[in-house]
Formats: sequence, structure tokens, C-alpha cells
Amino acid sequence: MVKTKSIIQAVHIAKKDAKVYFFKWPNVTFGLFLPAIIYLAFSVGRPTEISSTIPGLVAMAALFGAGAIQSIALPLERAKGTFDRLLAAPVSLTTIIVGKALGGFFFGVVLSLAYSLIVIPLSGATLTYPLLFAFGIILSSFAFSALGACISAPFRDIPEAMPPATLLRVSMVFLSGVLIPVATMPNVLQLIAYLLPLTYAVDMMQQAMTGQIVSQLFLLDSAALILFSVFFLTAAVLILKRTIH
Amino acid sequence: MDNAIEVSNLTKYYGKLLAVDHVSFEVKSGEVFGFLGPNGAGKTTTLRMLTGLTKPTSGAAAVAGFDILRESTTAKEHIGLVPEVSNLYDEMSAWDNLIFAAQLYGVPKKEREKRTKESLELFGLYERRRDHVGNFSKGMKRRLTIAAALIHKPAIFFLDEPTTGLDVQSSRMIRNLIKELNEGGATIFLTTHYIEEADQLCQRVAIINQGKIVALDNPEKLKATVEEHRIIEVSFSPAQEFTSQLKELRFVSHVSRVGDKLRLYVEDVSEVVPIIIDFARKKRLKVVSINTLKPSLEDAFAKITGLSPEVMATEKEPVKKEGGGSG
Repeated sequence: MVKTKSIIQAVHIAKKDAKVYFFKWPNVTFGLFLPAIIYLAFSVGRPTEISSTIPGLVAMAALFGAGAIQSIALPLERAKGTFDRLLAAPVSLTTIIVGKALGGFFFGVVLSLAYSLIVIPLSGATLTYPLLFAFGIILSSFAFSALGACISAPFRDIPEAMPPATLLRVSMVFLSGVLIPVATMPNVLQLIAYLLPLTYAVDMMQQAMTGQIVSQLFLLDSAALILFSVFFLTAAVLILKRTIH
Repeated sequence: MDNAIEVSNLTKYYGKLLAVDHVSFEVKSGEVFGFLGPNGAGKTTTLRMLTGLTKPTSGAAAVAGFDILRESTTAKEHIGLVPEVSNLYDEMSAWDNLIFAAQLYGVPKKEREKRTKESLELFGLYERRRDHVGNFSKGMKRRLTIAAALIHKPAIFFLDEPTTGLDVQSSRMIRNLIKELNEGGATIFLTTHYIEEADQLCQRVAIINQGKIVALDNPEKLKATVEEHRIIEVSFSPAQEFTSQLKELRFVSHVSRVGDKLRLYVEDVSEVVPIIIDFARKKRLKVVSINTLKPSLEDAFAKITGLSPEVMATEKEPVKKEGGGSG
């Protein structure tokens, strides 16, 4: 049973992380501009319609907002020695990791919502199911933040953590239906696409945006993102346990 | 609870390096216990194991009656840790750092602000409460780190080299605070490479060298172990390097230089004094001063470890990263 005390401690860690690492202007601008730059670089000269790509852009904002900073926050904290403050406190490693994932999650949600509020009215697109779209943002942000914690868990410094984290995120952008629909990819790439959380995030938000909801698919996307979150958090705790001691 | 800390055969390997080698000791409740040794002796690694920051390779330990492996989280509720290098958040204010520390230790919301204010006032940092800790001096950071360790009112304090690298005033303030905490009933586990500090503060001292405890007793008893050796401190004019020549004299077992004086460790003072006078006459030297000294903890340390006390005076390199110990 999850103790209330652990949840409260995780929330305190999340608030501290949000203040120290996430809600800083460079991170906000990075999270807002990078998806737009990737989209423009890819779509210029190609017949794409902005309204169909909005879910991909918002999912990218969640990915870069929640995940990118998260994959730096943990190694930075270890490099600076502040992670010892958490380890020395009567807080379990699971609580620490959940707290750190929550910090990234808050940032990812705020950034993606801000992105949606800017891009959707500007494009003139119609958001059919706003609440389901927001639900997609929530699940995606948590999964991406957990992913960031997981891939940064083995590393004790930023230069070590950055290359694998960046490679994974950029690959995900090209393989998860953000810029190219998954259905048009070769079979092998489609298989890889379904192993990536961004694929489910994009699909979920596309269904909510267009209104073409297929209940089973929407539930499958939700379940996949929840399972990814649990898997990434568990892996992060196990990896940290091995690398700390 | 008689013993605040109980350690049995605690051992730590980093890869093939044996950092702590089967150390066993107890720290009584309400005691100031010193862990004295040169840099790299295993002091910090032992402290990290006892505070749950590093897992022992083998052995067992209990803090406040709780096993450090099986009941680590509960044990930590009773511990206040002051690391050698600040582990505060530079990006946060002094106030926010203490509030966060209180939140981590589950201090009730109503109490948090009250204790934070009191702590900042106690450590003379209240006026700087809104400043980012990154702008603080080393002494201020150390004071705030201690304040953070006090916030949940623990019964057992672990202080890793608390005065290393600090100015005289900050060092004195921290030593006084350690005494006050102890007078208030707290148990103090202190690592230091300052022999005088251990002598002034500790009721018992363990001397650790190359991962092993080589002596454990109260400072006076440790000093008594060298009482069979008397010390003559002599100063010549003109001051020259005579260390090796004096070592050759009869009844002299060891010679060391302290400033412009030479310390001769001798078996019989009455036999050696005339020999020294004779030595000075032959070399045409004037004896400026000659005194006999009572052995110090430094002398005991030198005898027990075979190390020169100068080794202990060497400041260690600052260590920031989580992981391996440094002392």
C-alpha cells in the first residue's frame, strides 16, 4: 500500500525540482520552439496540413518539456552532490524517483497545454474533444518524464547522459507518427514504432483532435502509456540502486 | 538505549580497493565520538555507510537501534547529517533550502516556518534568508548545512570534517555548537583529520588508518600509550637542520621539527639532556630553549599509525560527487 507520507514527500521533491530545474526561461523557450523548428524543417516544401500535425507537435512539446529536462535533472543533481540530501533523508528510492518524475510531468503538462492554447487557435483547427486531448497530454507527459528519469538513471554527469537521451528522443520523433504517419512506414519501422511511447501519445491526441475516436484504440493507447510509465519508473529505481551502491 | 551506534565488521570494497576493512565499534548514547585518520583512511566511507548513502560490502551496523540495511528509512529519521561539502541547492534561497529539508523529514507544516526562522537566526543567516545559497561563502554554507541537519531535531549527528577549510571564527562557532548539541543530549559521530579538534571535542576517539581501526580509547588513555616516551623540545641558534644528526644520539628514538624547534622522543630525559648540551657545545650552538613536554594526542597518533602528524595537516581535495568516499 502506498503511504500518504511517501506521496507527500514525492510531491515536495517534485515542487523542488520544478523550481530548481524545470520552470526556467531557457527550458520554456526550448520546449516551445524546438518542436516548431523540427516541424518547420520537415514540412517546408511538403504538402502537410497544420491541423493534422498539431497532435504531433503537442506530443513533441510534452516529450521535450517533460523528458529532455528530466534526463538532465537527475545526473546534474548527482554531479552536484545534492542527490545525497535526498538519499540521506528518510525517503525511499521509489519515492525519490516518483517525485522527480512528477516534477517533469508538471512541466510537460504546462508546456503542452500552453502549446495547444497557442497553436490550435492560430491554425484555425478544431479540437473536437478537449478533455480527452488534455487526458492524452497528462498520460504522455508522465510517460515521457518517467522515460527521462529512466535513461538518465545510470549516469552521474550531464555529458554522459546527453548523447543517449538526445539520440532516443530524435529517433522517436521520426519513428512515432509525428511527422510521417506510422501506417505509411515499412513493416520493420512500424514494429519499432509500437515499442515507443510517443506513438501512443500521438495516436491518442489525434483521435481526440479529429473526433474519430475508436474506443478500444483509445483505451489501448492509455493503457500503453500507463504501462510504459510503470516500466520506466521501475527500471529507473533498479538502475539507480545498482549505480548508487 | 545504551549504544546509539553499533558497528560490527563493516567492510567496503570499491571494485578491488578495500576502503574499510572489518571495522567494529560502538558509540554510546550522548557521546561525542571522533573518527580520526589521514585523508583516504576510510573515515568518510564509514560515515556514508552508517548514514545510508553507501551500501556496505559486508558486515552490519545499527543506528538508533535500527539496522542500516533492513530499516534504513527508519534509521534515517533519527540522523542529522552534515557532509563535508555542502549538498544544499545553490539555486534555492537559504529559507527554501531549510523548508525543503523540513518537508523531507516530515516536520509538521505549522512547525516548519517556526523552526526555519529560529535556525536561521541561531546561525546568523536570517538577514540573508532570501539570497540564493550559491552566493554564500563556504562558512555560511557550512552553517546552513548544519541548520538543515538540525531542522528535524535528530538524536544522532554525523559530521564529516565539519571545520575543514573554514576560517578560525567559523571553526570555533561550529566546535561550540557541537559541544552545545552534546550538552543537550545528542550523540555526535565526528570525522576529522584535525588531531587537536578530536582532542578538544571527543570523549572517545577511534584512529583509522588504511581502512582499519588501529586504536580506540579516550584521548587521555591514547596519550598514555606514549608516556614511556618523553619529549624534549629544543631550539638552537643558529637554527640549522640537525634532525638526522640528533637521531643518531643515544636514547633518542625519533626526532621531528615543529617550527624552529626540534622534538626529540627519548626514553630517559635525564640521560639525554646532558647529551644535547654536549652536542650543542661541539657544534658551537647556543641552546635558546629546552623543555620537556607531556605527550599529546598527536604524539599518540604518530606512534600508533607510524605516520607523521604533518600528513594529517594536509587539507584534502574537495569532493562533491555522490559515490566514493574520500577519507
